[in-house]
Amino acid sequence: MFLRIIGCSFAMLVLATPLRAEDVTTYETTLKDKAFTVAEIKVPAGKPFILKVTNANAAPAELEAKDMQIEKPVAANSEIVVRVKAMPAGKYLFVDEYQEDFAKGYIVVE
Amino acid sequence: MIGALIIVFREVIEAGLIIGIVMAATQTVSGSRRWILGGVLGGILGSCVVAGFTGTLAQLFNGYGQEIFNASILATAVIMLTWHNIWMARNGRAMAGELKQAGIEVREGHKSLLALAIIVGTAVLREGSEVVLFLYGVAISAHETALAMIAGGFAGLILGALVSALTFRGLLKIPNRYFFSVTTWLITFLAAGMAAQSVSFLEKAGLATILQNEVWNSSSILSEKSIPGRILHTLLGYSDQPTALQLVVYLATLAIGFGLTKWISKPPRLAAA
Repeated sequence: MFLRIIGCSFAMLVLATPLRAEDVTTYETTLKDKAFTVAEIKVPAGKPFILKVTNANAAPAELEAKDMQIEKPVAANSEIVVRVKAMPAGKYLFVDEYQEDFAKGYIVVE
Repeated sequence: MIGALIIVFREVIEAGLIIGIVMAATQTVSGSRRWILGGVLGGILGSCVVAGFTGTLAQLFNGYGQEIFNASILATAVIMLTWHNIWMARNGRAMAGELKQAGIEVREGHKSLLALAIIVGTAVLREGSEVVLFLYGVAISAHETALAMIAGGFAGLILGALVSALTFRGLLKIPNRYFFSVTTWLITFLAAGMAAQSVSFLEKAGLATILQNEVWNSSSILSEKSIPGRILHTLLGYSDQPTALQLVVYLATLAIGFGLTKWISKPPRLAAA
C-alpha cells in the first residue's frame, strides 16, 4: 500500500509535468577531482536559470549552495540539472558538500 | 572526520526527531515499537537502494527525477501524518483514559501503526540515502583516510541518536493531560513543514511556478543549514527563504490539520429531542 500511495503521488506529479520548451539559459560546470572546471559563472540578475553540473569523479558528490537553496546529490560520473530562482546581484558560493573545503565555485549575478 | 561527523549528525537528527515524536505519540499502543523499528529498517534498506540509483533517478523527467521523487515522498508523509492525527483524535480520548495500563489494543490500531511505520520509513529513507551516498563516496575517494571518516560518521550517528533520545525523554515528561494535544500539535507542524518542503522540491523541478516571490530572508539571523536551523526546520518547518507558495501551503496544511482533528474529536452532539 505504501508503494501504491507513493506511486500515485509520483504518477500525479508526472502527469502534471508541463510539456513546454525551457526558455531559461543553462550554464554548465564540471566537478573534476577537487575543483570545478568553471569556478565562476556569470548570470544576469533577476532571471531564473539552470545550472548543469557534471561529476567527472568516481565518487559521488553533493552540490550545495546555501544562498541558492540547492542541495542535490550527484552520483559518480553523472550529471544533474538544478533550477535556480532569479536572484539579486551578488556573488553566490556553491560547493561539493562532500569536500567543501576544496571544491568551490561561484555564481556571479550581475 | 569533522565533516563526516557533521553530515551524519545532521541527517540523523532530522530523521531521529521524527522517530522520537512518533515513538512518544504511540507509546501506549501495543506493538508500536515493532512497527516503528520496521519503518526504520525499511528506510535504511530503501536508502541503500535510492543511493544506488541516485544517478538514474536524477536523469528521469528532464533531470528533475530526484526532486519529483522527494516531493512524492514528502507528500505521502504529509497524508500519513494527517491520517494519524485524525485517527488519534478519534481514539485518543479512549487511550488517554487508559494511559496508565500499557499495551492496550485499540481497534484499527494497526492501520495507524502502518501509517507511522511509513512516516518513519520515509524520514529515514530521505536522510539515510544522503548518508549512504556520502559514506560510499568516502569509501572510494580518499582525501581523508576512510577510517577517520567512518569514525566521524559513527560519532555523528551516536550524537544524533542522543539528541533524538533526549527529545523523546522530554516528550515523555509532559503530563498525561496534555500529552495527546502536544503530540498532535507536533505532528501537525511536522506535516505542515513537510508540505512546504514538498512544494519547494516542486518549485525546483519547475512544476510549481506561481507565487514565487520570497516572503522573507532570515538566513543571516538563523540559517536553515545551521544545526538549530535544521532542528527548527524539521520540527516546525522553519525556512529562511520561503516563497509565498510555500507559506500558503504551510498555513493551509496547519489549518486543515487542526481543523480536521478539532472537528473529529468533537463529541457527537445528541439530536435535539
